Amino acid sequence: MSIDMRTSVIRAGVRGAVASIVLLAACVPVFAQEIPKYAPPPPMPAAGTKLPHVVLMSMGGTIASRATSRLNITAYGGPGVPRVDPEDWYRDEPELAGIARITLEDQRAPQDRKSGTETQEDFARVSKRLNELAADPSVDGVVVTHGTNTMAEVAWYMNLTVKTDKPIVFVGSQRPWSGLSGDGPRNLYDAVRVAASKGARGKGVLHCMNQFINTARDVDKTSAYRVNTFQGVDVGVLGFADPDQVKFYREPLRRHTDGSEFAGKVFDTLPAVEVAYAYREAPGYLIDAMVANGVKGIVIEGTGAGSAISGDGKQTDAIKRAQEKGVVVVMTARTQGGRVQDNPRRRESKIVPGDNLLPEKARILLQLALTKTTDLAEITRIFNEY
Amino acid sequence: MNQNRISLNHIVWFLVLAGFLADAALADADRPNVALFTTGGTIQSKGDHRQKLMEYNAGKVTPQELLDDLPELKEVANIQVTEISNIGSGGIDAKLQLKLAKAINAALARPDVSGAVVTHGTTTLEETAYFLNLVVKSDKPVVVVGAMRPFTAVSRDGPFNLYNAVRVASSPKSKGLGVMIMLNDEINAARDTTKTNTYHMETFVARDMGPLGYADSDQLVFYRRPIYRHTFKSEFDISKLDDLPRVDVTYAYQESDGAAINAFVAAGAKGVVLTGSDADAVKKGQSKGVVFVQSDRKGAGRVVESERSAQRGIVTSDNLNPQKARVLLRLALTKTTDPKEIQRMFNEY
Repeated sequence: MSIDMRTSVIRAGVRGAVASIVLLAACVPVFAQEIPKYAPPPPMPAAGTKLPHVVLMSMGGTIASRATSRLNITAYGGPGVPRVDPEDWYRDEPELAGIARITLEDQRAPQDRKSGTETQEDFARVSKRLNELAADPSVDGVVVTHGTNTMAEVAWYMNLTVKTDKPIVFVGSQRPWSGLSGDGPRNLYDAVRVAASKGARGKGVLHCMNQFINTARDVDKTSAYRVNTFQGVDVGVLGFADPDQVKFYREPLRRHTDGSEFAGKVFDTLPAVEVAYAYREAPGYLIDAMVANGVKGIVIEGTGAGSAISGDGKQTDAIKRAQEKGVVVVMTARTQGGRVQDNPRRRESKIVPGDNLLPEKARILLQLALTKTTDLAEITRIFNEY
Repeated sequence: MNQNRISLNHIVWFLVLAGFLADAALADADRPNVALFTTGGTIQSKGDHRQKLMEYNAGKVTPQELLDDLPELKEVANIQVTEISNIGSGGIDAKLQLKLAKAINAALARPDVSGAVVTHGTTTLEETAYFLNLVVKSDKPVVVVGAMRPFTAVSRDGPFNLYNAVRVASSPKSKGLGVMIMLNDEINAARDTTKTNTYHMETFVARDMGPLGYADSDQLVFYRRPIYRHTFKSEFDISKLDDLPRVDVTYAYQESDGAAINAFVAAGAKGVVLTGSDADAVKKGQSKGVVFVQSDRKGAGRVVESERSAQRGIVTSDNLNPQKARVLLRLALTKTTDPKEIQRMFNEY
């Protein structure tokens, strides 16, 4: 090896080392949440102040995700990018300790599974755990993080199966914990404020993002990436987590948590229920396939005011075949707003009106209803009350 | 023989008629009684042709015409009508509001009355509805109803709105929810609902909050109950009032100054609702005992309580829009001029 070659190897090595250091320096800071250092944290309460006890439970989600660049707000996570542990939230946002005594709890699905791949096993486990926490007299409220794509469904499931009047608040973020102008930290802070508030008691499972306090029943993700994505469909918010205080204007009238006939029970498995979407010329064979696969119920996401597609080989024929095999059919509407109403024609065709529930939520209620009954009048009652 | 047959016929007809009358009397007794108060507005206006959706000045609809137009109401409730006025809502003032509220209180005090419906022009409907929400002494439903299209127009919305209003007012489901606004199938809370569109029928919207429920064909359905104090839980008593203190509203814009505030104070305002502010004019007004409430022109969201506004003696309006803040401030001023006490009221109502 010539001196020149040796030099170039050394040079390459040095360059590599320098590059690695630069890379490390570039990576390490962006793994943390971008909390501005230009202003101090808010004043903390005096030592010995009795703060409410809030359990901060992670079911993961974007709020528990990182990217290697703070401008990456769409394709974060993945192999080699560590997730955000509950301890990281607490370390990055020490002011949480100023509003509640926080206990951290990790209920994430295993590392290699994304939030969208959770199964009933996970929901049953978390529901059971929330029932335990609710029964613990030392706990004042629980905050649960979850990925935003399916969090409304998970919150709705908990709203029906957790027996408590204590606040349970679901929260997430649209941007990863490492994202520039990330919404996670303030959402988390507000969710803890809501869970620690007296006003949140007895209102069922709540959802708090973007300062809005919504019910698990009515909240829906309405935009893929905007931070104001969660809206209370039709009926709006219950209140606000505003800068000065947590304010409630409404209480929900539908049955939930303490008042739910499904609460406190553990459902390790639930009857299979699938959703069929209605669109021009939608065929019946998808519904036939659901029945062949053994579904106990089908939710139709109907057109307009709640209609399936009729005609030879189309949905309405397949619905009749399904009903003959004992499958319960519930009608919702793809309008994403407004009620599917009860009327004589619908009753004649033995279809349960899904009120104003979104199909994915009607599916969960039907699954729970089918654990008790297959009687259509009884299932209609359940859809009218929850 | 012939005569006998006629008399037999008579007897049969008499029996049939008596049966009908008995049926009707029984059904009348079964149906709830709803007190209808009419004040006027588009719902009671006539245009000179049926495509006329604006400038409908061709005459007024009497309460009797309203009822004759909607025989279906008889299936829902027995209606007892009182005419308060027959004017557009721009002309509704404190005296008329007080007259209306007293009449409603008298009607709802009767055990045989299930609820009240008020027809009203839409322009200031939300103000009267919120006023009633603060002064009606009953947990029975009070429903304020209007129309966006006149009585004479094709595709007019008034009849179904009125029909639904009577359904809501006669239902036990509607008890204890405060005063409600009924248009476009939506049951809205008086406090939170504002007119958001000049001509569309979906104009009444509770921004952020949404409706309490719907008057759907299969049933009245409610999803929400308001938490802020109202009607039977309200501290305001108008039984001895025949007018309300003058309160004005300022609009904020770039370069707006204290001229409007000074003029309102000079005109004798006891309170001013601000959307912007002018520190000097406010101080001058306060020295004369005028109470200032900070609202906002954005139409949604709360004016948060802050130490700075408390120090300046300015009451914050929560999420009440300026015209609603004015209604509450007028009533508050019948009890006190203490900004702290008025702040409590703005936090509770």
